[in-house]
Amino acid sequence: MSSRIPRRTPRRTLARGAAAVLTALTLAATATACGDDGTSSGGEGDGTGTITFWDNNGGPRTDIWNEIIEAFEAENPDIDVEYVGVPISEVQSKYDAAIQGGEGLPDVGGLSTAYLSNLVAQGALDPVTDRLAESGLEETLMPNMLESIRTTVGEGDEVYQVPTSANQGVLWYRTDLFDAAGLRPPATWDAFFAAADELTDRGANRFGFTLRGGEGSIAQALDMMYAQSGIDSFWDGDTTTVNDPANVEALRNYVDLYNTVTPEADLNNDFTNMVATFTGGEVGMLQHNLGSYADHVAAFGEDGVAGLPMPTSEEGGPHTFVSNPVDGLGLFRSSDNKEAAWRFIEFAVSHEMNSRWNESAGQIPSNLQALEDPWIAEAPPTRAAVEALSDENTTIVDLPYHLPDWNNISKADTEPNFQRLLLGEMSAQEFADDLAERLDEAQAEWQEQRR
Amino acid sequence: MADAVKERTRPPRRRRGGSTPRSLPYLLLAPAGLLMLGFIAYPMLSVLYYSLQDYNVTKPWRNGFAGLDNFRQILTDDPFFWDTLAFSARWVVVEVGLQLIFGLILALLINQTFIGRGLARALVFSPWAVSGVLTSTIWLLIYNPSTGVSRYLADAGIGEYGTSVLADTGTVFWGAVLAELWRGVPFFAILILADLQSVSKDLYEAASVDGAGRLRQFWHITLPHLKDAIVLSTLLRAVWEFNNVDLLYTLTNGGPAGVTTTLPLYVAQTGIEGNEFGYAAALTTVAFVILLFCSILYLRLSKFGGDDK
Repeated sequence: MSSRIPRRTPRRTLARGAAAVLTALTLAATATACGDDGTSSGGEGDGTGTITFWDNNGGPRTDIWNEIIEAFEAENPDIDVEYVGVPISEVQSKYDAAIQGGEGLPDVGGLSTAYLSNLVAQGALDPVTDRLAESGLEETLMPNMLESIRTTVGEGDEVYQVPTSANQGVLWYRTDLFDAAGLRPPATWDAFFAAADELTDRGANRFGFTLRGGEGSIAQALDMMYAQSGIDSFWDGDTTTVNDPANVEALRNYVDLYNTVTPEADLNNDFTNMVATFTGGEVGMLQHNLGSYADHVAAFGEDGVAGLPMPTSEEGGPHTFVSNPVDGLGLFRSSDNKEAAWRFIEFAVSHEMNSRWNESAGQIPSNLQALEDPWIAEAPPTRAAVEALSDENTTIVDLPYHLPDWNNISKADTEPNFQRLLLGEMSAQEFADDLAERLDEAQAEWQEQRR
Repeated sequence: MADAVKERTRPPRRRRGGSTPRSLPYLLLAPAGLLMLGFIAYPMLSVLYYSLQDYNVTKPWRNGFAGLDNFRQILTDDPFFWDTLAFSARWVVVEVGLQLIFGLILALLINQTFIGRGLARALVFSPWAVSGVLTSTIWLLIYNPSTGVSRYLADAGIGEYGTSVLADTGTVFWGAVLAELWRGVPFFAILILADLQSVSKDLYEAASVDGAGRLRQFWHITLPHLKDAIVLSTLLRAVWEFNNVDLLYTLTNGGPAGVTTTLPLYVAQTGIEGNEFGYAAALTTVAFVILLFCSILYLRLSKFGGDDK
């Protein structure tokens, strides 16, 4: 066999070639790895120029943000706001990619406490504690939302997100179907299960309830569990209460609804499919937060649908809710124009703008004055949610948004298991134990890091 | 005119003083080489580098050199890896096999002369022009329990309301296979049709004279002629199907209960949702080695390019 290297090729040329390749490789590697990691400290700027704003729910909230931006630019002609709408399902990976890539982060970004601790852990956000105090903004915002943000991060009193709104789980029901069947509103769990059964006629394509078996199923299942069990805390010391016998029993009740009073196809339901099943067919009830109010009104009119806080054990009894993530705005550390960026944040959470945004989204405003606005009294589900939240007998169970693993545990790790549970391939106890083990492990690691 | 022709055909003038410098070919190749370094070698080396690391952006305290730990965990302590690998293998074999059979049949049909052949060819090729995400959307609508086929079947008294092929672990595989088949068959039909048109008609005429029927002609003339095209197209398609993410991600997202999760989908979930980029890089490396080994074995076994027609 002849040599593949031509005989006349001198060794020196090969060595030179190899050196050139290595150099080029090193250069290529260096060139692609030399950016910063999104944690550079940026600067205050002179309060003018262009700032970039990422909306964390691009699409559904684009119109209202454009309205706010237009009003802001009219009041601040020296500042231009560049709007970027990011779909809610992709926002966290987009932030992560921008942080790791070292460029492209916005000056201001829409945030949720569901992934706030991730961004703080990566050093991407500036604390806004001093700015909130100095500007007087802190006094105008709901204290419990600020507290929820502080707790999420767990770094003393530092605040890394200015709250814009909160959400609340709601049991939506079709008033026309309830009236036709002579049923009372599902204010208690007994009434809920009875109505789900009564409204189901599978042969006629009528179902009492639709549940979320696909993406996002875990937070919803936890809402149903704690609201039934009444357990008042997610943790008992450093151990989660997820697999407490009362919660397992509640989970069993919830899962038993699947494919008896719900469509079989609910197994794959994400938010969009679940709402489409409710609004597009003959389904009596749906559990989702205030955010889908506009969809229901568009489908059935204001008189065709109503929303109640999650049911209680007895009529007029105390409510137990799991905490919904608090939405808000963050100031990114890498911003070179923080003065202008902060001015935009202040403007967005001012009484008028915050009220306008939340009226559009059907959610609970963070601005205390906005809570008194007439539209809240005219939107029964929002009013009921505000009243239930303000009720001193109500218990809020804080979900562990502080855990960097929370998103992973509640999605990739556990959602397939929830489908196995619905399919009967796993018991409620096994599901709850597996979830509890993951949570306890993540909590222990988090505690270890804080020491 | 003659002068002009002479001018055009004159050989290029050689540089005075001898031949071209020896570095010229390297200089000419350098742009392509640099592009390959930047877009192929760097990402591959980067994946290899991260596969040896613990790298999770949300837990910086854990990050660091992991040696072969990620690989050890994959091979000995991750049953889901083996599940996804088995599903990927099943998906590739069924998809590529069915696409080849249907693609071959369609190519043979539209290679015949008949009225409306142009329209038939356009119809056969059209699904290939549809993107993966759009294909998923079309099939999601077909499988939708409220507006899709199952709803109309239930209206006709067949099956139940509120069901979907994609919500049943027994049917979801074939539901996804059908959607991908719709998109993949034209690929084989196009390649096989192109090769079919280069078969000499004399061979068929000679075989006819010798008394060979259509089946024998297909077996002894058509199929041997198509061998290289079939080997190459099945190999390419197998690699694509193994790496299929778009259709399955949007159609089933690997579910229900993880039963349609391919290895690349598992990589995406581990990296993007789980933030475990080191482990995801190791999974990618393992997938790459498996594909490389299978590709070499397939080409060897099929004697691709051998002159055996």
